[in-house]
Amino acid sequence: MKTYIAQRLAIAVLTLFGMSIVIFVLMRLAPGDIVDILYEAGGYVDPVAKKELTKELGLDRPILAQYVSWLGDILQGNLGKSYRYDVPAWQIVKPRIPVTVELAVLSLLVAVLLGVPTGVVSAVRQDTTLDYVLRVISLAGLSMPSFWLGMVIILGLVAWAGWIPPMLYVPPTQDFKVHVLQFLLPALAVGYRSSALIMRITRSSVLEVMREDYIRTALAKGQRERVVIWRHALKNAILPIVTVIGIEFAFLIGGLVVTETVFNLPGVARYLVEAILWRDYPIVQNLVMFIAIVVILSNLFVDMLYGWLDPRVRYG
Amino acid sequence: MDRFRTVALVVGLAVAITLALSIAPATSQAPKSGGILNVWHRENPPSLSIHEEGTISTVLPMSACYNNLVLFDPLKKQESEATIIPELAEKWSWQDGGRTLVFFLRKDVKWHDGQLFTSKDVKYTFDVVRAAPDAPAKLRVNPRKDWYANVVSIDAPDPYTVVFRLKRPQPSLLMMLASGYSPVYPSHVPPAEIRNRCVGTGPFKVKEYRQGEVLELAKNPDYFVKGRPYLDGIRYIIIKERGTAVAAIQAGRIDVGFPGEVSKAASESLKAAVPQLVVTPIGQNVNDNLIMNIKKPPFDNVKVRRAISLAVDRRAYIKAVHQGGALPGASMAPKPFGVWGLLEADLNKLPGYGDPAKDKAEARKLLTEVGFGPGKPLRVEMQTRAIAIYVDFSSFVIDQLKQVGVEAALKQIETGVWHPMVTRRDYLMGTNLTGIGPDDPDANFYENYRCGSPRNYTDYCSEQADAMMDRQSQELDPKKRLQLVWEVQRKLEEEAARPIMGWRVDYFTHWPHVKNLVPHQSIYNYWRMQEVWLDK
Repeated sequence: MKTYIAQRLAIAVLTLFGMSIVIFVLMRLAPGDIVDILYEAGGYVDPVAKKELTKELGLDRPILAQYVSWLGDILQGNLGKSYRYDVPAWQIVKPRIPVTVELAVLSLLVAVLLGVPTGVVSAVRQDTTLDYVLRVISLAGLSMPSFWLGMVIILGLVAWAGWIPPMLYVPPTQDFKVHVLQFLLPALAVGYRSSALIMRITRSSVLEVMREDYIRTALAKGQRERVVIWRHALKNAILPIVTVIGIEFAFLIGGLVVTETVFNLPGVARYLVEAILWRDYPIVQNLVMFIAIVVILSNLFVDMLYGWLDPRVRYG
Repeated sequence: MDRFRTVALVVGLAVAITLALSIAPATSQAPKSGGILNVWHRENPPSLSIHEEGTISTVLPMSACYNNLVLFDPLKKQESEATIIPELAEKWSWQDGGRTLVFFLRKDVKWHDGQLFTSKDVKYTFDVVRAAPDAPAKLRVNPRKDWYANVVSIDAPDPYTVVFRLKRPQPSLLMMLASGYSPVYPSHVPPAEIRNRCVGTGPFKVKEYRQGEVLELAKNPDYFVKGRPYLDGIRYIIIKERGTAVAAIQAGRIDVGFPGEVSKAASESLKAAVPQLVVTPIGQNVNDNLIMNIKKPPFDNVKVRRAISLAVDRRAYIKAVHQGGALPGASMAPKPFGVWGLLEADLNKLPGYGDPAKDKAEARKLLTEVGFGPGKPLRVEMQTRAIAIYVDFSSFVIDQLKQVGVEAALKQIETGVWHPMVTRRDYLMGTNLTGIGPDDPDANFYENYRCGSPRNYTDYCSEQADAMMDRQSQELDPKKRLQLVWEVQRKLEEEAARPIMGWRVDYFTHWPHVKNLVPHQSIYNYWRMQEVWLDK
């Protein structure tokens, strides 16, 4: 087990190294840099001043030198300075991480609570009216972008109730109720889409298990259907479901951009897009590395979970 | 007698009630202190330093933190020289035939950090902004250096007197100093620090700044105008998504909309949903214009440029692209919002403003004269920013050009690349938006039409036009100056220096409980917030 984790972590380091090269090069391949954009915002260009600023930000140095110095800084725990705001990158990124993580976890919770039970019911009641209704609902979830659903929720609320959640982030320590309300709506919008995927995987996985001999035997021995389904069938069908949940979580961490924008939540994803538009290299590079770490760790966690869920799984 | 008494009593009561009723509205209009104003902000300000930015996104929230020497009266809708009022300067005086401008400063002003404000701060600010050779500091980006090109020196003979010495008379210097773009900075705080915090003299101090989320200001208790500001604070709430922001206004989470961001259609639907909302149509001092690179053929030929200008029906443009939410006008903002705009009759004689069929026929004729026609159409690449408002604008122009036989292909350019590209003049033809700080010809002509100006994207250069610009700039009689400004505008449009398609109208929206926030014809100049109060 320890060897396996060590191997996976070694691969993770290599992956992160590769990621660092990809993101670093991609950012520099994109046309324009922060200096161009700062002057665009200023609406005036003094070529001498522009050259000086390029030098001040170190963007005149060879690309390899820039990469080595960034990597060196990261290894020393120094995330650099935001070009745009002229303050340490960590100061900007730190308060945003909990917002995105909370939204991703809540969305996933909504997705699991909706997706798994409906998937099981749909499988057990295969080809009944209920199955068709649930499949249509899940198909709708897959077809509707979560930001569109979010906007519909906001416009619907303001039209019918003349109310929408606060536009400023309210921490749970300040007002727990308002905080929950603020996160519940986006979590429902995002969670609904993810639940559709989980529901479909659960359905097909449970259907497969339900055809196994041991399920038939359990039912034939008079075991109650509910116990057979939830204790035996679902337990054996869970591995693909957990895999999808793991992938969804990793996707959510970086994929909440538009939802955070629509609900005006100050999360990492929304800020990442802004930083890309401003070519704020230190912020973009560090946030992408953060997302990559979350993806790698969540995948590792899911793999570890396999062993706990299914004792037959061995790590070697 | 009893009857007389009764009648007297009834009359007396009626008079008292009438008086009370007539006084009541006035009493309810007496300013109240307190409350927090929530203002929508469309994006995170690029920085907090007004002098280093060219966007309303910085001017809007930071104006309340600073003061100018002079200011456009915040309660008067139309800005002009006549509406300029003192602020840090108690009074001013033009001397030496308009070549010297002397300001006499207030003696009771302190910076937010407790230091005393003096003439040293004024000299420092404008020496830095005009990049004087002996300026004690340098701005990272200096967008308005050219506004002060006519200033020879700034002297501070004593702590409360400042003298601006000019090469030649320039009455509009006062207009530029009254703009939201001209706050006075503290000489004891380096420009780099001002990018992230505010040490001003203004009615509000920065309380909290959470990037991308909110910029919160709190009342300055030591403000030099006694009894002001009325508000306890202002929250500039950053909402990137326009649909969410409009919903937030409707739900009452936001008291004031962001200028220029509530479209005509959105303001109409808001008004339908919440009839009590106050929507004020007002100029933005922002125009849509066509840029043609005059250094490159075929646009080095005035006939081709004129044909392009003739081809685009301005009124149809306003109707189709802005759904009526813009006004036709030449290079200065048109009436009723602007002061210097051409009269309707003069405008109708210019290319693109008259009978569309006749203008298009003339355009075809001009193109034939220079060798283009059905067998040999003029083919151009139309470049623009990859933003919806620019693309809509370009699509309309392309269609209009097609009607006179010009085949234009649209090329969308990413925002970050656009500005360097046009500054290098690395384009042939494009669609562009230009915002101008104060509604004054000097602020516009020298930046956008003068030979050699970096922002003169078309590289239009005419010695005659430059001389005309100088003439209007130093004319001290406002009526004569207006005539000269009209002449310049006619020349610029006749030569298609940068054909103007229309001037954007803002549908400035706020809740009725927000009082004394009066929008002006330039979005940059009414955000001091000193007089604003909440009636709730």
